[in-house]
Amino acid sequence: MTTELVSHDAFRWFLTLITGVVAGAWGIVDLVRLIGLRGADTTDPLVRDKRFGYLIGIVIGVVGVVGSLRFQNVL
Amino acid sequence: MSSVPAASGPTPPTRVVSPWNPANAVTASRFLCLPPFAWAVMNGYHQWATLFILICGLLDKVDGLVAKVFDCRSAFGEMFDAIADGLCYGFCLILIAAYGWAPVFPVVMIIVMGIVNSGMRGIYAKRAGRTVNYKSYAMERLVGYTAYLIGFATGGMEVEFFYWAFVPLMLITLLHDAKRMLFDAVPGASM
Repeated sequence: MTTELVSHDAFRWFLTLITGVVAGAWGIVDLVRLIGLRGADTTDPLVRDKRFGYLIGIVIGVVGVVGSLRFQNVL
Repeated sequence: MSSVPAASGPTPPTRVVSPWNPANAVTASRFLCLPPFAWAVMNGYHQWATLFILICGLLDKVDGLVAKVFDCRSAFGEMFDAIADGLCYGFCLILIAAYGWAPVFPVVMIIVMGIVNSGMRGIYAKRAGRTVNYKSYAMERLVGYTAYLIGFATGGMEVEFFYWAFVPLMLITLLHDAKRMLFDAVPGASM
């Protein structure tokens, strides 16, 4: 058994892509969902919970993309 | 045997779902990732540790899919999934913090907030008068983030940044969910 599965660079890019792409897609999907809730009944607790959840999802997406860019020394 | 949750009062017979179903088997199989993960961390094998936490995270996604395909969703299954999340990710977080792969203070805060969240879920189930898993869209996203947190530590990827960014998000979500679980009316509660 080897201690490394892939090269250091490949591992680094794998982490960047699996984080950056997923986080970016996640943030966009939640942004679209949040926009889709415009005009929904805000007195409904489920709608309020969804809006809050999608907002947190967008923030997580931004954090993921920023973290990935920092990891690649872009930011 | 557990059954699909029902509303309060006299109810029509509900379909009984055995806890020994494929979805719960997939959920339980996540625990099999923990010994090899511990082995990898203890030996300093970062890539192997990342692989095992990735498998554990993927199985978390697969169990929901299996429950839909085999039509074996149940309140017990949802609770079991939440418990598996807590045990698997809690164990991994403690291990990586103990081996210096993750900052201790944020990890302690995350685990404490996770325990508080579990306690509130218990209170919510008691208020509802039945086995029920509180559904929180924000917490679902944070559970996904938690799986990634472990991967960031095993991969050495911006560890401080991701861990400290997580803490305020978890705190805000916990406060938001606390209001709903502890004070707001429970839909279909028997109290």
